Amino acid sequence: MRDDENMSSGVTRRTFLAGVGGAVALSVAGGSASAAATKEAPQLAALVKDGKLPPLAERLPKNPMVVKPWEKIGTYGGTLRRGLRGSSDHNGILRMVGNQGLVRWNMDFTQALPNLAERWEVNADASQFTFYLLKGAKWSDGHPFTADDVVFAIEDVVKNKELYSSTPAQISVAGKPVVVEKIDDYTVKFTFAAANALYLENLATPLGQHPTLFAKHYCSKFLPKYNPNLDADVKAAGSSSWPDLFRAKCGDIEIPQRWGNAEKPVLDPWMIKEAYSGGATRVLMVRNPYFWQVDTEGNQLPYVDELNFGISQDVESLMLNVISGKIDIQERHINSLANKPTLSQNMKKGDYRLLSLVPSAAQQCSLYLNMTHKDPVLRKIFADKSFRQALSMGINRQEIIDIVYFGQSEGYQTGPRPGHPWYHEKLARQFTEFATDKANAMLDKAGLDKKNANGIRLRPDGQPLFFAVDVIPTLYPDLVDVLELVKAHWTKIGVSMKVNTIERALYYTRGDDNAHDAQVWPGPGGLDPMLDPRDFFAFHPQGSRYAIPWTLWYTSNGAKGEEPPESQKKRFKLYDEARSTADVDKRGAIMKQVFDIAAEEFEVMGICLAVGGFGVIRNNLRNVPEKQPDSWSWPNPGPALPQQFTFTS
Amino acid sequence: MLKFIIKRLLWMIPSLFAVSFLAFVLIQLPPGDFVTTYIATLASSNEVVDQNTAAALRERFGLDQSMLVQYLKWIWGILSRGDFGISFEWQQPVSGLIWERMALTLVLALASLLATWAIALPIGVYSAVKKYSIGDYAFTAFTFFGLSIPSFLLALVLMYVAAVEFGADVGGLFSPEYETAPWSIAKTLDLLSRLWLPVAILAVSSTASLIRVMRANMLDELPKPYVTTARAKGLSEFRLLIKYPLRIALNPFISTIAWLLPNLISGSVVVAIVLNLPTAAPLLLQALMAQDMYLAGAFVLLICALTLIGSLISDILLALVDPRIRLE
Repeated sequence: MRDDENMSSGVTRRTFLAGVGGAVALSVAGGSASAAATKEAPQLAALVKDGKLPPLAERLPKNPMVVKPWEKIGTYGGTLRRGLRGSSDHNGILRMVGNQGLVRWNMDFTQALPNLAERWEVNADASQFTFYLLKGAKWSDGHPFTADDVVFAIEDVVKNKELYSSTPAQISVAGKPVVVEKIDDYTVKFTFAAANALYLENLATPLGQHPTLFAKHYCSKFLPKYNPNLDADVKAAGSSSWPDLFRAKCGDIEIPQRWGNAEKPVLDPWMIKEAYSGGATRVLMVRNPYFWQVDTEGNQLPYVDELNFGISQDVESLMLNVISGKIDIQERHINSLANKPTLSQNMKKGDYRLLSLVPSAAQQCSLYLNMTHKDPVLRKIFADKSFRQALSMGINRQEIIDIVYFGQSEGYQTGPRPGHPWYHEKLARQFTEFATDKANAMLDKAGLDKKNANGIRLRPDGQPLFFAVDVIPTLYPDLVDVLELVKAHWTKIGVSMKVNTIERALYYTRGDDNAHDAQVWPGPGGLDPMLDPRDFFAFHPQGSRYAIPWTLWYTSNGAKGEEPPESQKKRFKLYDEARSTADVDKRGAIMKQVFDIAAEEFEVMGICLAVGGFGVIRNNLRNVPEKQPDSWSWPNPGPALPQQFTFTS
Repeated sequence: MLKFIIKRLLWMIPSLFAVSFLAFVLIQLPPGDFVTTYIATLASSNEVVDQNTAAALRERFGLDQSMLVQYLKWIWGILSRGDFGISFEWQQPVSGLIWERMALTLVLALASLLATWAIALPIGVYSAVKKYSIGDYAFTAFTFFGLSIPSFLLALVLMYVAAVEFGADVGGLFSPEYETAPWSIAKTLDLLSRLWLPVAILAVSSTASLIRVMRANMLDELPKPYVTTARAKGLSEFRLLIKYPLRIALNPFISTIAWLLPNLISGSVVVAIVLNLPTAAPLLLQALMAQDMYLAGAFVLLICALTLIGSLISDILLALVDPRIRLE
């Protein structure tokens, strides 16, 4: 329990590492191991002996990237088992394997470290990035990885309008895509139209993997520019168009086909042997003989021979596999609060230990009243700040925390988590006290002082004050419980609310059409306030559910949606400024202004601080950090480097 | 007879069209489309799809066109070149995804059907002949028990016991080493060694109801004069049962073949999902949930075709078995 308290209240981003069992960071120190001393997996050594594979020294870069194992030098061998779902779970593979961008995250999710780029230079206004690639790194088919591959990936693939009808947001600034030039074989220069100070952090997230995703010598076969006979090839392959064939062969960051072609050269520690496809019952990956990282003693990584992702249709059968010890590491799908007691009880039987995850989210349940509601009366009521403040004070947060979250949280609104250097007290804590009388008085003062026979307040047009809050029960069963309690609390202050449990596609459609009264969602921005600030201003066209038309206005530069109030526009400007500020402290100062305004406007209401997640690790699997951030931007466990996970016999 | 069969076959064509169109419309009826669902699925693990990508996806899949246009394109592909379209989710041709699954589904369906009949027939006859005996009561108790346990629960309990108490590897139809191996005698044997668990689970509930049906039918037939006549003519009790009342009582067994085939695909969904069986059911459910129209549509079309074929078979069989039925 002590651990959990710690996680919910006190892990700072900067001291996070110290909190992880006092262990040493995974560090990279280029060039300390010479290739001559390197060692390799027995199967690979046998292949070399038979002449089927070049010797290790020829496969590794001259100065391979050195990774310091988390606990100890590992031993080669073993099959690591993990579970996937049968549908749209391709990112379950990405999180484990596909973490090989130009840069990668450090363990405490604060800084981008060298990866396939050994080092880089950034110009003063953060609009030009020069990357120096790891010399001699090779694709999994032995072909060298060079600046040509990076230039090809961006200039020929990602900027190709037939493949990407609009350029991914990651590499486009001020409406213009990045320009990538080759300086020499191992140097590339990225030039943006304007400052893009967050680019390195963005590169470390999964959506930043494009520069290292497409091997030119292989993928150019599927582009008309390089292959004059492409039409014939498309026909022969039975594809409907060349872009379809390209995607089937070379994939993209987050589509299933990325893991569907065993021939595609990769830079990952493991490569596909049995693909992820519609009919598959498992996915098998084997080691990449050309992987370019070694441990501190010069042993080529990865330690583990194979990854076996079993595909379960049902979470219960996945749970059964965990309990009976048939899964080596898992947090996806099984980490609901309801499963925690079962998994804790069976630790001995399944021979596993628990992994604890620090949520990157700020809020367990953000409540978004639709301030741009189509009904003008409700819109006016929701837009009244004191109405929202009164509702917030009408919620008995402690009761919710005790009943739904077993006491493992604390009342919270939104903003960076406690201990984060940008933590903002007012944004986080205002109006979290439970004060029915005060709330009632505020509602009376707001002009909602007439009540009907049931004690429900009447709107100015005489209708009872009623609205529905949408929630997806299959996705977040706990939020349904939270809302049921909130409903009871609000009845006491004369506000009638309906818990509207709906299917998830309907939930999104209602949001897209601006047809919702209110919706709930776990609020991000706890450890990643720059990457997902949707609760601080109308940033996300699907996520900032209190005013989706405003976000459309922001993302379309005023062409679509609805013009937001001045305070929002000011935050758009401040955020754009923060995004182009390279200096972290200056950036923090700008973001503090955003937080000040957000706290003042109080658009989003929160219940309690996001509760820590968990996972399981089999006891014989070592080198796994037992505390990790939990985020899509830090796609756990990838940045903890699964290539250095190892089995003890 | 031949005329009847041809007429029925011709009727199937408009039926299939009507059904395929209805299926297509029904799959599209829920709000949102494949892209909405796709984004929602990723969002459930807090993953983010680039906004530009979402719009591009919609355009690429033709989701911005009207439903009728999408349907006509699809059905034309099937008619003109046997192309069932591309699964949105997997970007693979639908036909590649469904055939192996359908084959395994049929294996499981037939095995469960045979198991059900092998248990239900003799027990039903026995219960009817020895009405109100201890054996009848025992079987009755058993059947009510079987009927009242939901099969997914039975599957979960059996899996739990097998996995936790015996450490057995349950779930799936193949051992890991055979899962992706090409078909061989060893793989077939492996399949057989694992098939019994889902077959037993699927058979339990349908056995229970069939026993009751069989018992009731036999009880209807046994007091009839023709039975008394046959007995008076000195026919042995066993031959008498087999030759006359049983034939009549088989009628419901045969006439249910029509829905047995589709039922074993759609009715076993939950069990197949719990037991992780590589049959059509889980893929169909996924496709429906993801609004993966062409994949789901192809499955629905196949199931409808099976129903139509099944009902033709049962009509022909009925004509052969039941002397009271004439087709002309």
